[in-house]
Order: sequence, then structure tokens, then C-alpha cells
Amino acid sequence: MIVAKRKPFKEIKGLVSGSKKILVLGCGTCVAVCLAGGEKEVALLASQLKMALALEDWDLEIDELTIERQCDREFIEEINHKVNVDDYDLILSTACGAGVQLVSDVFGHKAVVPALNTTFIGVAEGPGVWTERCRSCSDCVLAETGGICPVTICPKGLVNGPCGGTRQGKCEVDPEKDCAWTLIYNRLKKLGRLDRMEEIAPPKKWSAQQHPASVIHEAYKRRYE
Amino acid sequence: MATSFEEALASGKFLATASVDPPKGTDLEGLGQLFKELKGLVDGLGVSDNHQGIMCMSPWAVCKLALEEGLEPIMHMTCRDRNRLALQSDLLAAASLGIRNVLCVSGDHVRFGDHVNAKPVHDIDSVHLLDAAKGLAGGKDMAGNTLEAAPEFFLGGVANPEADPLEPQLMKVDKKIKAGASFLVTHPVFNMENLKRFMEHVRQSHVKVLVGVRLLDPQEVPKYKDGAYPGLFVPEKLLEETEGADIEKCTEMAVAVVKEIKGANLCDGVHIVAPGHEEKIPEILKAGGV
Repeated sequence: MIVAKRKPFKEIKGLVSGSKKILVLGCGTCVAVCLAGGEKEVALLASQLKMALALEDWDLEIDELTIERQCDREFIEEINHKVNVDDYDLILSTACGAGVQLVSDVFGHKAVVPALNTTFIGVAEGPGVWTERCRSCSDCVLAETGGICPVTICPKGLVNGPCGGTRQGKCEVDPEKDCAWTLIYNRLKKLGRLDRMEEIAPPKKWSAQQHPASVIHEAYKRRYE
Repeated sequence: MATSFEEALASGKFLATASVDPPKGTDLEGLGQLFKELKGLVDGLGVSDNHQGIMCMSPWAVCKLALEEGLEPIMHMTCRDRNRLALQSDLLAAASLGIRNVLCVSGDHVRFGDHVNAKPVHDIDSVHLLDAAKGLAGGKDMAGNTLEAAPEFFLGGVANPEADPLEPQLMKVDKKIKAGASFLVTHPVFNMENLKRFMEHVRQSHVKVLVGVRLLDPQEVPKYKDGAYPGLFVPEKLLEETEGADIEKCTEMAVAVVKEIKGANLCDGVHIVAPGHEEKIPEILKAGGV
């Protein structure tokens, strides 16, 4: 899933500055799961804005709406059945960067601003804790590294083993974090596949990661030709 | 010491090497003076490449000065700041200036340096860089294109005998040797047992090993403690000793380490690093008997 964090409140306040009526638009998928931009977080942000602005005698009307996904046109179009977008000066989106952009594409005549900073693709480690697991490099090496990604977990993205800073199995960049290559070594040893680590991994093919990337499913190729 | 660094390593004698950092600015006078003092004392002189992610003059310029002063420079090259195009073009530039010895490193993370918001490049790693330099020497670039004239390199890598766990470190070292490293420069070693364990492994190959010795600085003890120097693992007892010492005492301590390493007859030489006190390098080498 995509993990995001809310922007500092001061920054958000600055983003809506000058508006008279805004829509705080939540997203019910990834950012709801990581407690950053779902229905509850939209309500919280709207209340916080109302309270802060009331103290400054700033008359801002705020509506709230959360849709299933902001990264899918089908769900964005539902917004039109629930509110009139033209009633608002601005849409404050609590989606990831992808969602903000698609909402902005659909409502091209309306300012859409992000309330979150999109952070990484990761997993839930436990209640309230998420960690990055994938850099979406389009050249996956997990089969060679015991299912642990050195491109993501190693801050230098080293693909041929650890740097010289590993201490008690921890990373030199952040001693609170495990060294990716200690994890990989231990996992491969456990799997009886340490020979995988003996081979020199070739340089990454960054060409596989073209920006902006796009994927068209085989079954749909003819439609878009 | 008119012979090349490669010839000196092949001679079998115990080598004296050291490293210096380029200036943060354009003043090379201090280094020029130091190079005059080091002439005849060191078999090879490492020149760091934005050490610890601190922006300094490019090492090739300092290596050129070292060559002019009759020293054998070992140019450090980090993968942190350049992609594969820039690394290869800088290797060719260095070779054109007469710089043959290259120490290929991944590089300390930018978080330790003075440009913490810089993007760490790491397009390729130190193993790839060794392989790329070997490829250039063979007349081909990383994309397989033929060079008009091939450079000559004598290549090395870095290893940390005190990395914990050691096994993954040794596997990486094996890859560096396979990729083209003829010599290794180690991080500073404080525990001789760790060095022995490391040497037992690397002695299975042809690679030559220069063991790092660091002049500890009493003023820097808090940084040693909080891990501000990646890969530098100073034992608690030594930290206490350093804290209560002055730089003269610390120099004596470094001399004792040099003697211990030489006496153990485990490796091919020492590599002195004395950040901020480079003027002590000649004294450490002379008193250490190398």
C-alpha cells in the first residue's frame, strides 16, 4: 500500500489561504488504512481548520466528503452525484500524490491541493506502524535476496552486499534499523541459498523505471492502439 | 620510493600508506607542504572523494599535485555522487592525468556530510565500479562500446574487518576481488582478533591488504561515541584513554597500533588516517618503523 503523512498544519492552512469555501476530499483506500487521509482524518482536519480559523476571524466554510479511491476516475466521478464542485474555491485532497493529480485532471477548472505528503510503498508492521518495502524500481531482485529488498531497505540501495558500517547487525545510517544485508544474509542462510549472495549482481537497469511510467494490460492493448 | 604503488605492493615489503582529504576551497598550499614531507615516506597516498559526504575539491586535482610532488596517489572514487556515466568519464580524465591507482568505494551516506538534502546517487556500487574500471582498462565502457585508447588502472576496494556480522562483509570482499580489486584498504582496526579473522579469509586470494590506523582525536570522542563516523568502531576502553589524552599521547597510541600491526605480520602494510592532524602522519610512520 501507499503510505502518506499529513503535511504540517501550518502549511495546510497556508494552502487554503484566501478561500471562502473548500471541500476536504478524503480517500478511502491506502491513506485511510495508514490513518492519514480517510474519512476520520478528513473530519479531524476539517474541525482543526474550523477551530483555528475561527480564532483568526477567518470565515471559511468547509464541507467534507470521502470517496472510495481518488486514483480511479470511476470513483472520482461519483463526487458529482454528491456535491457541486463549482460551489468550492478549492479542493483540499487527503489522497496520495496520484489521487490529487487525478482529481485535478478530472476537475481541471478547480484548484486541487494536497493535504498529505506521499511517503512510500510499504506494509503495516503493527498498529500505527508502517515501513517502506518497495521502491517500485521495475527490476525486482527479491528472488536473489531472500525476499528482502536491498534497493529499498539499504539506504544506499547496494545490491552486492553490505557497506563497511554494519554494527551488531544494524545500519550505519540509523542504528535503530536493521542492516538490509544482515537480514538478507541471515534469511538466505536459513533457506540454504547463500550461494545466491556469492554471485555478483549486475548494475540495476534503471531504464526499466521510466518516468512517467505506464502499464497497459495485455488484454487491453488493442483498445489503446 | 620511486617505484609505482603496484610495484611496491608486489615487492613484498611492508608498505607505508596514508590518506588525506582535499581542501574545502581552492587553497592547496598546505597539502603541497605536507606532500613534500611525505615524499620518500609513503608508498601510496590516498586522496578522499568528498569524504563522509562533505563537499571538497575533486580528488583528481589533488592527485595531480601529488604526482607533481613525486608521490603515488591513490584516488578514491565514490558511487554516492555520480552515476555510471560521470564515474567512467572521471576515470578516463584521471587516467589522462597519469592517475593509475583508484580506490573504488560506495561512499558514506549523505546524512553524515554537510549537504544532507543532496540526492544519494548510488546508481552502481563499489563492486560494479571496480568491474567498470577493469572494463575501461580492457578498452570497453559499461555499455560495451569500444574506447579509442584504453586507460591503465591499479584498482582497490575498501573493507571493514570489524564489521559485525563479518560474514556478509567477507562475501562482499570476495566480490570486490572477483571484480578487479588488487588491494584492499581497511577501515581502522582496533581489535587484532578481528583483523586475524579477516586476514585468514582474504589470504585465500591474491589480494594485498593495507590495514587502517586512525589517529584518534580527544576533541572528537563524543562523535566517535555517537556513531558520527560510519565504520569507525572505537572500543570503550580506548575511548576513555583518548578522552583523557592530548594529541601527542594519541599520536603515541597510533604509533603503538602501527607497531602491533607490523609485528603481527598479518598484512601488507598500514594506511594512516589522521583527519585534522595530517602533520602527524610522518611522525606516526617514522616512529612506527615503517
